[in-house]
Amino acid sequence: MAVSTFRARLLYLIIAVLVLLETGTLVSVHYAGQRALRRSITEELRVGARVLDRILDTRARQLSDSLSLLVRDFPFREAVASADLPTVISVLENHGKRIDADVVVLVGLDGTVTADTVGGRMVGRRFPFAEMLHVAEENADGQASATLSFANRPYQFVIVPVLAPRAIAWVAAGFEIDDKVLRDVADLTSLDVSMWSSAAAGKPLFISTLRPEERNDLVGHIETHADLRPILSGQNMPQKPIETSLELGHATYATYLRPLATGDRSRVYTLVQGSLEKAQRPFVTLERQVFALSFLILLIAVLAAVLFARTVSRPLQVLADGAGRIERGDYISPIVVKQEDEIGHLATAFNAMQAAIAAREHQIMFQSTHDALTGLPNRSQFLSRVSHDIAASKRLATTNGSGPSVGMIVMDVDRFKDVNDTLGHNFGDQLLVEIGRRLRQTIDAVHTIGSTDKVSRLGGDEFAVRFTAADATDIAARVGTAFHAPFVLGDVSIEVNASLGIAIYPDHAGDADTLIKRADIAMYEAKKNQAGVAVYDSGRDEHSLRRLSLMMELRQAIAGDQLELYYQPKIDIATARVVHAEALVRWNHPRHGVMRPDEFIPLAEQSGKIGLITKWVIRKAIAQCAAWRRDGLDLTVAVNLSALDLFDSELPTFISGLLSDAALPPEKLVLEITESAVMKDAAYAQKILADLKRRGLCLAIDDFGTGYSSLAHLKRLPVDELKIDKSFVQNLTESAADDLVIVRSTIELGHNMGLVVIAEGVETAESWGILKRLGCDMAQGYYMSPPLAVGAIGDWFRSSEWGTGEAQRLRGA
Amino acid sequence: MTVHDPCVPFGMLSFLRFALTAALALPLFAATIDVRVQGARGGGVRDAVVYAVPEGRTLPLARRTAVMDQKNRMFIPHVLPVQTGTSVRFPNSDDIRHHVYSFSPAKPFQLPLYKGTPANPEVFDKAGVVTLGCNIHDQMTAFIIVVDTPYFEKTPANGRALLRDVTPGRYTLHVWYPDMRDEPKPQSIHVTGDERISATFMTR
Repeated sequence: MAVSTFRARLLYLIIAVLVLLETGTLVSVHYAGQRALRRSITEELRVGARVLDRILDTRARQLSDSLSLLVRDFPFREAVASADLPTVISVLENHGKRIDADVVVLVGLDGTVTADTVGGRMVGRRFPFAEMLHVAEENADGQASATLSFANRPYQFVIVPVLAPRAIAWVAAGFEIDDKVLRDVADLTSLDVSMWSSAAAGKPLFISTLRPEERNDLVGHIETHADLRPILSGQNMPQKPIETSLELGHATYATYLRPLATGDRSRVYTLVQGSLEKAQRPFVTLERQVFALSFLILLIAVLAAVLFARTVSRPLQVLADGAGRIERGDYISPIVVKQEDEIGHLATAFNAMQAAIAAREHQIMFQSTHDALTGLPNRSQFLSRVSHDIAASKRLATTNGSGPSVGMIVMDVDRFKDVNDTLGHNFGDQLLVEIGRRLRQTIDAVHTIGSTDKVSRLGGDEFAVRFTAADATDIAARVGTAFHAPFVLGDVSIEVNASLGIAIYPDHAGDADTLIKRADIAMYEAKKNQAGVAVYDSGRDEHSLRRLSLMMELRQAIAGDQLELYYQPKIDIATARVVHAEALVRWNHPRHGVMRPDEFIPLAEQSGKIGLITKWVIRKAIAQCAAWRRDGLDLTVAVNLSALDLFDSELPTFISGLLSDAALPPEKLVLEITESAVMKDAAYAQKILADLKRRGLCLAIDDFGTGYSSLAHLKRLPVDELKIDKSFVQNLTESAADDLVIVRSTIELGHNMGLVVIAEGVETAESWGILKRLGCDMAQGYYMSPPLAVGAIGDWFRSSEWGTGEAQRLRGA
Repeated sequence: MTVHDPCVPFGMLSFLRFALTAALALPLFAATIDVRVQGARGGGVRDAVVYAVPEGRTLPLARRTAVMDQKNRMFIPHVLPVQTGTSVRFPNSDDIRHHVYSFSPAKPFQLPLYKGTPANPEVFDKAGVVTLGCNIHDQMTAFIIVVDTPYFEKTPANGRALLRDVTPGRYTLHVWYPDMRDEPKPQSIHVTGDERISATFMTR
């Protein structure tokens, strides 16, 4: 886990740093201690050597003083002056004993021994320590002292003159240095002192405060040590002090060897030695204490680190837990860290972040489930609610045997596109908001439905209401009341109608998605039938689905060039020659094959795509007309307009623009409008038609005879042509009296109103003949030609007997 | 024995009488030996004793007595040359007692602790250097130079001494001075008449 790792890492770090520091301290303490020890032991040894010197000096001075007092003794001087040898010897012995001298020698001023106390061995010879005589002569008191080797033993010699009163001789007295002297030094300094007396000849004598076995080791060392060996041989004797370490017994001794005095041919060396182990003892104690202290500090630091790590890691754990809660979507429980430090700030920041995330998520949730414009739940939210309701109903059904019905009303504002187009999108938006508000108001008033989120905007001008266990028709009626009063927005008052489709679970569908599709179908049904409201009828389902999918595919069809224009010629009956060609749109559907306009134009009208199709057709037809014209075919092209096209105020401008671009005279385009379309909103349609007429376009009433137009109304329309519906023409025979009457009257009516009369659905020579007889101006139908694709109609123009004279002429040429 | 010694030693009252006597006995022909005792550094040596010993003959004692006083714990004079046979008195002018002694072979003697002047003088009848000491006061030393001639003189600070009225004849000229280790080589002198002879001793 990350927290424990952090704690462990902190611990490791602290321990590592401390161990490093303490190791460094211990090592440096150790080395500094060893250095100091070496320095101090060296110094100690030197001090020991100096103490020895001092003691010897003091002893020498005392001896010297004793001796000089002795030689002042008048009888002594008298005896010496008597030059009587036995007397002299006896006085030397006698007085020598007084000062504990081991040897007393009388030396003449010329340096020759005249008497001694060692049986006359030295008499007549030169005094062996001539250097002392020189020193004495130089000294003011005429005295000298030296430590030297005499008879291979270490001796202190003092020499004083015999004054009578001038110096007449020297008296030298020798005192052997024994262990006691060394022990004095050892007692004073806690060091071991040895003395090594050597002469050119004879075995050296060695005295020491060392224990016998150590002494033996020392002798062994001196015998083998390159620097010390000359002491034994007396050759190349060291002149300077030697400092070294020697193993004696089982201990290491720091050793300081020094020549004490330089006699002519004899030497005394002092060795001052200290046991390193003994000297190290206090340092070892110190190091142990430092080590113990370091360990203690380490322990305390680790303990402190553990505590500290806990104070850090525990709130971090709290933070991590808090972050985990936020991740899981818990925005309510705050992170509680009662610390004022960085972690406390972090916790505060976490809490702030939590609140911010909660707010944003709430907002995002709202935006994803609600419509931004109206604030109503959106389609997905609506469906999810419906699903929820259905699930609840299903649960109830499993427990109680039956659950409540779940119903929905899908409504679409009629002609909302027109509102948008004429009054602007801003107005449209306001209208939608107002519709939403009113719907909510209405639903709120219905106690049985309940809360506000029952109303939803599915998108565009589509709204939906969901309900449970209520009479659908009653609900629909109530919803319908929302549209009763006109909507007043600013200075505009507008009447809005809506088509309502109702579908109910479990009657019409088992789930929300299907339910809304079926409600949609019902709504389209209502719209189509202008019934205002329709309940889903399962029988119409398949057909409706196809229609719906076609509706969806229409836009793609327009963009994807799936539409194609066919042309059906209109023949001038008088000349029996083609003069017009009516453009008829076909949809080359990838799955359904070639579809005729009556299969998809109503869908286009319902889904608001008709405007696009009309414009596409007009553009194509004008282009084709221009192309034929370039080929020398002077044809007028007819195009069908939908009733809805008559509400497009921009259409006249659009058409004029195309015509002038193609350099076509406006009268070469005929716009065919069905009688019912013209009747629907006559006033507005009339304005557009008038505009079109003013621009020189030719207008035709299509399917005349099927609607219920009043003649008065017809009379006001600025049309040029009248197309008799094919239902009257198809079965036109000499024996069909009714049709004959209608066709004849219509032709007469049209002619009387100054209109060109065209008969559609001419399929037989008989009907052609009748129409010719009745004076009809033009005929159109399978008798002459079915609608043909561009290539085929081109061939027809050239090959048919109704074809253009120009084509035949061209072919003839 | 005729007194030839013309030297009046340094205005000492005790010698005045002898000086007058000597003046009366001045010889007709006498030489003066001018001796210079030169130190190692070129300066004169003080308290050096120069003396001319006649060869093959002895001259009569010129003066019978001399005095070695002890004053302020010092022997006065420090150096006293005397002719062989001279009696020297050792008066003690200090309040304290002295113990004068000599271990010198020429005249070993001692005057144990005494005050005033001892009744009998010490006669120095053997030529040589007598080193005097006081057994009580180690620092007190003096030298009595006993020579076999009346012609001796002690040098002042300039190291120069005149041996006057030396009668003709052959002499060996010696020098002694305190702290002398080896005597500078004696010089032979032949005095023929009234003349002035110069001699120099170089000391080491």
